[in-house]
Amino acid sequence: MSQLGKIADAVGTYNRFVAAEVDRARADAAYAAELRARWAGIRSAVGTTQSPSGTPLPRLALPDTDEPGAIAEYLLGQGLPGEFPYATAAYREMYLDTAARTGEEPMRLFAGLGLAEDTNARFKYLSRHQRSLRLSTAFDGPTLYGLDSDHAGVLGKIGEGGVAIDTVEDMGRLFAGFDLTRPDASVSMTMNAPAPVILAMFIAAAKRRFGPDRVASLRGTIQADMLKEVQAQNEVIFPVDASLRFLCDMVEWCVPNLPRWYPISISGYHIAEAGATPVQQAAFTLSNGFTYAGLLRDRGASVNQFGPRLSFFLDCGLDVEYLVLGRVCRRIWAIGMRDVFGADAKAQVLKLHTQTSGRSLIAAEFQNNLTRTAVELMLAYVNYTNSCHSNSADEPFTTPTERYALLASHGQSILLEESGLFRHTMNLFGGAPGLLALERQVESAILGVFREMDTLGGVIAAMEQRYQRSKIQESGHRLETQIYSGERPIIGLNKYVSHEPLPHVPLARTSPSKQRLQVERLRAFKRKHAKRAPDALQRLENVTRAGGNVFGELVTTVETCSLGQITACLTGVVGQFRPMV
Amino acid sequence: MAVAKTPRRPAPLRILTAVPICDGHDSAVTTINLELARHGIEIIYLGYHQAVEAIARAAVQEDVNAVGLSSYNGGHIVFFREVVAALRRGGNGDIPVFGGGGGTITRADERAMRRQGTDRIFFAGTPLEEIVAAIRGYSRPARPNPRFRGDRVLARALTIAESGGRVPAVKRTGPGRSFVVGIAGPGGAGKSTLIDELTSRFLRHQPAGRIAILANDPSHPGSGGAILGDRVSAIYAQDDRVFFRSLATRGSLTGLSAAAPAAIELLRRSGEFDLILVESVGVGQESDPFRSFGGGQPLVDATLFVLAPHYGGLIQLQKIALLNGADYVALNKCDHPLAKVAKAEIQARLDQNGRDQRLHATTAAKHFDPGVDALFSALAQRADLAPAAGGERPCRLEVTP
Ligand code: B12
Ligand SMILES: Nc1nc2c(ncn2[C@@H]2O[C@H](COP(=O)(O)OP(=O)(O)OP(=O)(O)O)[C@@H](O)[C@H]2O)c(=O)[nH]1
Ligand SMILES: [Mg+2]
Repeated sequence: MSQLGKIADAVGTYNRFVAAEVDRARADAAYAAELRARWAGIRSAVGTTQSPSGTPLPRLALPDTDEPGAIAEYLLGQGLPGEFPYATAAYREMYLDTAARTGEEPMRLFAGLGLAEDTNARFKYLSRHQRSLRLSTAFDGPTLYGLDSDHAGVLGKIGEGGVAIDTVEDMGRLFAGFDLTRPDASVSMTMNAPAPVILAMFIAAAKRRFGPDRVASLRGTIQADMLKEVQAQNEVIFPVDASLRFLCDMVEWCVPNLPRWYPISISGYHIAEAGATPVQQAAFTLSNGFTYAGLLRDRGASVNQFGPRLSFFLDCGLDVEYLVLGRVCRRIWAIGMRDVFGADAKAQVLKLHTQTSGRSLIAAEFQNNLTRTAVELMLAYVNYTNSCHSNSADEPFTTPTERYALLASHGQSILLEESGLFRHTMNLFGGAPGLLALERQVESAILGVFREMDTLGGVIAAMEQRYQRSKIQESGHRLETQIYSGERPIIGLNKYVSHEPLPHVPLARTSPSKQRLQVERLRAFKRKHAKRAPDALQRLENVTRAGGNVFGELVTTVETCSLGQITACLTGVVGQFRPMV
Repeated sequence: MAVAKTPRRPAPLRILTAVPICDGHDSAVTTINLELARHGIEIIYLGYHQAVEAIARAAVQEDVNAVGLSSYNGGHIVFFREVVAALRRGGNGDIPVFGGGGGTITRADERAMRRQGTDRIFFAGTPLEEIVAAIRGYSRPARPNPRFRGDRVLARALTIAESGGRVPAVKRTGPGRSFVVGIAGPGGAGKSTLIDELTSRFLRHQPAGRIAILANDPSHPGSGGAILGDRVSAIYAQDDRVFFRSLATRGSLTGLSAAAPAAIELLRRSGEFDLILVESVGVGQESDPFRSFGGGQPLVDATLFVLAPHYGGLIQLQKIALLNGADYVALNKCDHPLAKVAKAEIQARLDQNGRDQRLHATTAAKHFDPGVDALFSALAQRADLAPAAGGERPCRLEVTP
C-alpha cells in the first residue's frame, strides 16, 4: 500500500473513532458528564457582541445542544475553530471586527504586468489602503519558463500576463520602496520551475537593500509546487526527479535561514482551472501535499519543522462542492499529518489561500463577472480561508486593469467589512445539515480518488501513467460540453443571452518599446558580468553534479548570472523535462 | 494482412494543434483535440510551450490540412504572424493557420491577424460544434504538388500513401543507407521514450546525418479520429535533421498503419536517412507487425522488442512470439524494483532461442542512461553508421517529374 492508502485508511479509522465516541457519550454516564462540563466551559467562554442595529450575538456560534452525543460529534468530528480536526477553521478567531482593526487582512491580490517598475507601481496602487503589506507577484511567460527576455522568439511575450524578471537588478526594481522586513509584510510569488532561482534573486536583492542581517525576517510564499505543474499548469523545465530535488534543496535551506518563509504552496487552483472537478482538485492537491511531506521526511527533515511551512492554495468556483472544500481539506490534512506522519499540532494545520475561479468568468456580458466573483468570495470565506484573491471582471480579456482590480478588492471589503456576515460571529454557517451532508459526500469521494491512485502505486507513479492529466482533461472536456449543450447554465452565454457584441475593454499590454528596454537591460547586465559569470556557473554546475544543496549556491550565482543562463546551466547537468499530452 | 473490412471512408482530416512558446494554457486545446478526434479528425498534437520553428516543422512533416494554435499568454499577433511567415518561407503557405485564445484575442487583434495571414480566430464562447464544422472545411484532396520543396515532398507522398492513392515516386536526394529498425512491444513499455533517447544519441553520433521516425498509433475505433501525441514527448525530434511522422492505424489491426510498408519504402528510397525507426502500436503476444515470420521479406532490417518489468510472469513471457524473432530486446524501466527479476527471466527466455540475443537493460525515462548508450552502439554498429565528419547536409527532396 502506498502512503495514500494509509491516509485514506487513517481518515476512515478516525471517522469510526468519532462514531464510537458518540456512542460512548450516549452510553457512558461518566463520559457524558465530562463532555457536558467541558461544553459548558466552552460556551461560557464565548464572548458576546452585537450587530449595528443592536441584535446581541455570540462571537462564536456553537451547536445549540446539550446532548452528549452531539457534543462529541461536534468537538471530535468538526472541532472548535483552531482545534483538531480543524474542519471549522485553522485559527480560533478570524475576520472578526477586533481583528479587522489590528490584524492582517486576508485580502491578497495577485498582480504583475510589464516591466518591474510597472508592477511596482501597481503594487503601490493596490496596497495603498492596506494595513499590512501583502503583495502577490505574477510573472510573465518567459520568466515562468526560465528563459531570458533575449531568448529567440519570446519578444512578444515579455511583460504579458505578468512581470518580466531576468536578473537580481529587476528584482530590486520590483520591490523598490517597500520595507519587506516589516513584521506585517509578506510577498507571494507565483513561480514554479525556476522558483529556486527567483527566490535566490529575491534574497540577493533584499541583501543589497536591507543588509544581510535582515534577510531572515523576510516573509512570504513561493509557489514552487512542481507536482501540480506536471499535472496541470505545465511549467516544467527539468525532469521530475531533478525538479523535486531542487525544490527540496530550497525548502531545506529556507527552514533554518528564512524561518518566516513558506517555500511551497501546494496548489489546487491550476488543477481546477485546467478543468478538474472540485473533488479531483482536492484529491490531487492533498495527495501532492502528502507526497512532499513524504519526500522531505525521507530526506531526513523533521515533519514538525517543515510541516508548519507548507501552505495550500485552492480554487473556489460556483459549484456547490466549493461550499465545503476548504473545510474537508483541512480535516483530511490534519488527520493524515497527525496519524500517518506523527506531526504535532502546528504541523497539522492546513493554511489556505483561495482564489476565486478565473475560468468561471466569461467574455460575454462580462460585467456579470462581478457577481460571480462575489458569490465565490462568499463560498471562500465560508470555508475560513486564511487569505484570498478575488479576480477582476476583465479576467477573460487581459491582465486586470486598475479599474477592475480595484473593484475586485472592494468586493472583498464589502463582504468582510461592510456586510455583517463575517464581522461579528465566527462560524455563522458551520454545522448546517446541508453542509454536513456535503462534507461527508465530498470527503468520501476524495478518499475514493486516493484509493484509485494507491492502486496505481501512489501519486508519482500515477503521474507517470498520466492519471491526473487524463482525468483533468476528461473533466475539462466534459465541462465545455456541458456549457455548450446548455446543461450548465451560464448567464449571458447559453441562457438569457442578449447578443450584445463583445465590448471594448481596455487592455493592459506591454508596448514593444518596453519589451526592447527589458532586453537592453538584460544585455547590459550580461556585459557587466561577462567575466565573472562563467565561474559562477561552473561552481553551480559542480555543486549540482556533486549532489550538494543547489539553492545554497544559487544565492551567489544570481549576483552575476541571469535566469536564462542559470536555467541553461542546470539543464546541461540534469537534462530537459519530457512533457506528456 | 489483417485489415478490418470496413467500408472505405474518405481519409480523415489531419490537423496539427499546439500552444505557443512560454504558454502552458492547454485546457482549451486538449478539449478541442478530444472533440475533433471524436468527430473523426486526426489530431497531431505538438504540445504547449512550442516555438514557431517547431510548429512549422511539424506542420510540414505531418503534411497537415491546417494548423490550430491556442494562445493565452499574450503576444498572439506576433506569434501567429511568425508561424504564417515560417510556413510561407518554406513554400508551405498553402497550410492555413487558425486558432483561438478565449477573450485574450480581441476583435481588433483578429482583424490584424487576418491581414497578416491567419485564416480564422475562434472567439470566446464559440460552441464546440461550430468549431468542428469550421475545421471540417479544411479538407482537401492530397495530390502531389510540384511546387513543394524539402521534407514537404516526402510528407505529401506519405499522405497520398495513407489515403490509399497511387504513391508518387520520390527522387533520391541523399546518400543515406537507410537502415530500418522496427520497434514493437506492449503498450506503455516505453517505446516512444526509448526512440527519443536513441534519437538524441543519433544526433550526437552523426553530426550530419538524418533520422526518420514513423510513429504508428491507434485510431479511435468508433469515430475513426485519433489523437497522435507522440510528438509531445519527442523532445529531441525538434531538429531539422529529424523527420518525424505520425501515422494513425485507420482500422488496420496489424500494429502498423496499412500505409506503413509504402511509407517505409518511400523513406528508404529517398536516401535522406541513415536510420529509420518505426514504432508499432502497443502489441500483444501473437502479433507480427514487421512481418518477421512467415518467410517473406520483412519490412525492416532489424527489430527491437521493448518490454517493461510488468509483463505478468514467466508464462506470459513464454507466449510472446516476438521475443523469438527480435534482433534486439530491451527491458526498459530498469529503475523499477521488479526489473532485477525480470532481467533474469527474460535472459533465460532468450537463451532458449539459442540466437545469441543480447538483452539490453534500459531506463529511457532517465537522460544519459548508459543502457540506452549501449543499445544505440549496438544498433549503430549493425546499421554501419560511421561518425561522419561535420557539415550539414541540405535537404533536396523533390518529386520526380
Ligand atoms: C484556465 C486558465 C489558466 C489555467 C490553465 C490550465 C491549463 N492547463 O490550461 C492556469 C490556472 C494554470 C492558468 C495559469 C496562468 N494564466 Co491563465 N487563465 C485561464 C483562464 C481562466 C481560462 C482559459 C481557458 O482555458 N478557458 C477555457 C476555454 C475552453 O474557453 P475559451 O478560453 O473561451 O476559448 C474558446 C475559444 O477561444 C476556442 N479556442 C481556444 N483556443 C483554441 C484553439 C483552437 C485551435 C481552436 C479551434 C479554438 C480555440 O475554444 C473555446 C471554446 O469556444 C483565462 C481567463 C479566462 N476566463 O478566459 C486565464 C488567462 C488566459 N491566464 C492568464 C495568465 C496571465 C496566466 C498566467 C501567466 C498567470 C501567471 N503569471 O502565473 C499563468 C500561466 C500559465 C502557463 N503555464 O502559461 C491571463 C492572460 C492575460 C493576457 N494574455 O493578457 C488570463 C486572460 C487571465 C487574466 N486576465 O489575467 N491560467
Ligand atoms: N519509470 C520509468 N518510466 C518510463 C521509462 N521509460 C518510459 N517510461 C514512462 O512510461 C510511460 C509510457 O512510455 P511511452 O514511451 O509512451 O511508451 P510506449 O511503449 O511508446 O507506449 P504506447 O506507444 O502507448 O504503446 C511514460 O509515462 C514514460 O514516461 C523508464 O525507463 N522508467
Ligand atoms: Mg508510443
